[in-house]
Amino acid sequence: MRVSSSALFESNIAEMTQQQARMLKTQQQVSTGRKMLTASDDPISASRALDVRQLDSMNTQYGANRGVARDSLLFAETALDGVTSLLMDIRTGLIEAGNVNLSSSQLKAIADDLGGKLQQLTGLANSTDASGNYLFSGFQTKVQPFVDTPVGMGYFGDDGQRLVQVSASRQMPSGNSGADVFMRIKNGNGTFDIQSAGNVGTGSASIGSVTNPAMLTGDNYSVVFSVVAGVTTYTVTNTSTGNPTIPLLIGTNYVSGQAISFDGIQFDIHGAPANGDSFTISPSSNESVFKTISDVINALNTQVGTNLANGLSRGIHNLDNAMSNVLSSRASLGLRLNEIDGLQTMGEDFDLQFKQTLSDLQDTDYAKSISELTQQKMVLEAAQLSFTKVSGLSLFNYL
Amino acid sequence: MGSNLFSSVVSGMNAAQLGMQTAQHNIVNAGTPGFSRQQVVTSARLAYPSGSGFVGQGVDISGVKRIYDQYLNAQVMQEQSQASYLSTYYNAMKQIDNLVADPAAGASPALQEFFSAMNGVANNPDSAPARQTLLSAAQFVVNRFQSIDQRMTDIATSVNGQISSSVDAINTFARQIAALNNNISVAAASYPNQPPNDLLDQRDQLINELNKEIRVNVIPQANGAVSVFIGTGQALVIDNQAMSLRAAPSSSDPTKIDISYINGISTIPLQQSNLQGGKLGGYLAFRDQSLEPARNALGRVAAGLADSVNQQHQLGQDLNGMLGGVFFNTGTPLVIRNANNGSAAAISASITDVSELTTSDYKLSYDGANYSIMRMSDNAVTSLGAALPDTVDGFTVSLASGAPVAGDTFLIRPVANAARNISLAINDTTKIAAAAPMRAMIDPGNTGTAKISSGTVKEPPPTDVNLQQPVIITFDNPPTTFSVSGVGTGNPTNVPYTPGDDISYNGWKVQITGTPATGDTFSVVSNTKGSGDNRNALLMAGLQTRNLLVNGTANLQGTYGQMVGEVGTKTHELSVVSLAQDNMLAQTVASQQAVSGVNLDEEAANLLQFQRAYQAAAKAMQIANTMFDTLLSSIR
Repeated sequence: MRVSSSALFESNIAEMTQQQARMLKTQQQVSTGRKMLTASDDPISASRALDVRQLDSMNTQYGANRGVARDSLLFAETALDGVTSLLMDIRTGLIEAGNVNLSSSQLKAIADDLGGKLQQLTGLANSTDASGNYLFSGFQTKVQPFVDTPVGMGYFGDDGQRLVQVSASRQMPSGNSGADVFMRIKNGNGTFDIQSAGNVGTGSASIGSVTNPAMLTGDNYSVVFSVVAGVTTYTVTNTSTGNPTIPLLIGTNYVSGQAISFDGIQFDIHGAPANGDSFTISPSSNESVFKTISDVINALNTQVGTNLANGLSRGIHNLDNAMSNVLSSRASLGLRLNEIDGLQTMGEDFDLQFKQTLSDLQDTDYAKSISELTQQKMVLEAAQLSFTKVSGLSLFNYL
Repeated sequence: MGSNLFSSVVSGMNAAQLGMQTAQHNIVNAGTPGFSRQQVVTSARLAYPSGSGFVGQGVDISGVKRIYDQYLNAQVMQEQSQASYLSTYYNAMKQIDNLVADPAAGASPALQEFFSAMNGVANNPDSAPARQTLLSAAQFVVNRFQSIDQRMTDIATSVNGQISSSVDAINTFARQIAALNNNISVAAASYPNQPPNDLLDQRDQLINELNKEIRVNVIPQANGAVSVFIGTGQALVIDNQAMSLRAAPSSSDPTKIDISYINGISTIPLQQSNLQGGKLGGYLAFRDQSLEPARNALGRVAAGLADSVNQQHQLGQDLNGMLGGVFFNTGTPLVIRNANNGSAAAISASITDVSELTTSDYKLSYDGANYSIMRMSDNAVTSLGAALPDTVDGFTVSLASGAPVAGDTFLIRPVANAARNISLAINDTTKIAAAAPMRAMIDPGNTGTAKISSGTVKEPPPTDVNLQQPVIITFDNPPTTFSVSGVGTGNPTNVPYTPGDDISYNGWKVQITGTPATGDTFSVVSNTKGSGDNRNALLMAGLQTRNLLVNGTANLQGTYGQMVGEVGTKTHELSVVSLAQDNMLAQTVASQQAVSGVNLDEEAANLLQFQRAYQAAAKAMQIANTMFDTLLSSIR
């Protein structure tokens, strides 16, 4: 076939240009480390890489969120750890105060000590995080949650719990509501509470228990003792129904430590109640740990004998309730911290996986690219060399 | 006999001389674009009959012809037009390809940064630095949308410029072809049997150049002229007459350059999609099929971000205790009245549902009685009846003023300017509405174990007027029902209680779980001083993964990724097809050049051959001369 001289040059130049372009691209892939230089190099991988990059960035964000949640949980955990040991100290103080040989000045000293501990407890309940936000005030992080008021300790926070997105599908509360931890603690045995006031005898009530939940009424009752000619009897009346004329139990003989049971509840009374002594039984209500402690301090300062013993015993019960409430709050904090650790491991696995996918999608395979580059260089050199030889051939050289 | 001998020799010398001249012409034009090699056509002179037979009388030069293959030339033209169309489209496309997918330069990293910062606020709702970071990240995402849009606008402007210069080139070529038509027909008339080779080559070359700008149809005429047609048969050149094209702002969209055809005195608008092939076709296709859809797709992501963040933000409460305002400013959809409309009626449009938005533009028409709207991506027409407003594909069109007359049209571009118009509406960190405006409380005296969720505000904004009114929920005896009291609730009683079900009044909803006791109360109150509340920030951060767009099938990132994918796929396709077409063109040109191109070695051989022929003829002359001398001396 005929070959036109200009076509000979043009096709050689075009061929070399194409080879140079290919080589430049390989070289860019090597120098940038990315095999996808623009979306058009591999459109599917390019948009996939954008998605994976978003997943990766969100995974990183969840990691940061977990850090924030862990910090808050640890702050709360530290404060509640302090609360736990403080409550233990107070409980020890109360047991100490139960020693009947203590003089009133010694009791007063214990009361003063408990007063100091109550201050400390209030301080712990008003703990703040590193930025000065209250840990136990719900959403109102700038409002001091626990403030002493003339009617006792008031809670000025709310029930808000801040959630943190710790993984794609899990929002975790990063703290506990102060009301849940310190305020909403059931008194008595959790179902009913036995109280006495102004008794002169030595009768003291146990905490009691529920024997038949189906029979519970949620009503208030009174147990009134009468001592006639050395025989102690008691009468139980449902005071909520407003019909004290029909008592549940009338003039039952009293034996110290024998169970008194009615309407599914059961308790016993020890000691020798005096004529007219009474006990009231009411459904358990919420009592703050602050009230429990200040009630005990009050009893230590004002009560003696059986009333003091009853006050102390009730205080210890309610303090135990407070303690178990704080411990269950701590347990829930601990569970969440555990969960964060679990999620953290998973997040790190995801991170590795996303990075791997991203690298597969967009990173240069150096071995392949460099061997390609070498090959392309060889081809181009061959083309250049042969071109100079071929283009030098001309009949005019011999004319 | 003697004179015959001389004339025969002279004819041979002439032919050789002409041959050398032609070879030399071929050699010097070896590099001239469009040049076809030429050849002297010779034939033996009619023989002189004599008794001794027919005696040759020399050589006749019948002409100089160019070596030219009509079929190959047509094929080159066809491939050329397609190749320049594809390479123009490809080169233009590479600009947006480079723009969108760069991990550092696309919108994707900015979106991620924005949502990261939103998470930061959710983690520390009352931290001023976290809020400042969110505002900076929001400014960053706004700037990124604006700068990508600006870059695309720049590309559109430069494409408009390219279209104009392409039209100028077409008009110039048309005039030159018309002038050459004239020269050729004059030459053909003067020398009816001799082709004006170089003029023909020049004209072919000009047609070829014209064909690189736009695909043409060439019809040869009897007088040697050619007629050149474009598009759907618009004549560009007839004989020595050149018509012209005009590039001017479109009547439907002044930011776009449209091509119209000028036929003498009248100007006829052309259907742009009929102008195919060549650079002009490449620019038009790029602009209408790739650039504008990409800009709309970017706009849709921007509109989706702005609208969804705004909606959620307006359900929140800022650090000052006020309800949230808009977070991003957005523009309204672009509505352009056709310049040829018979009335001054104005149409306005607004986005009502981002999830339904498409990336298409729309054309609203009025036929004198009814409105109809056409989605331009697939030409789907929806009739809207006799009166507006009406909603189509997530936006509402309304008649703003005036009364339209039959034939009026309006171009509506719902998202074209969304990326350009997005801006940050707040610059005060305390105005970020990270909290919810209400919160639920458990009464401290409750003896039951029931809990209440903090509550959420119901979408969409505006919020209920009684949203922050205190509401009390009290459980009845037995606690299987509850009563509600508070302004705006209607104070219902004996509402059945199902644990975990939504309880919704005054535009909020809460859930109560667990076992309440008789008389337990829960309250929903205004979230005053709720600086540590992050409920709304958490919901805004959650927008990152919510399927907000494309009828609830794709999130923001996914929609952006889809645009990147489309741009990448188109560019990739063009790069492959364009390379293939270049190779195809190179092969066709090589075949055409194999016939018409100059081979210097061949011409060198021709020179030698004609030199020898000339020398031989001269020798014959010398011999004839010597012969005469011999004859004369023998007589003397």
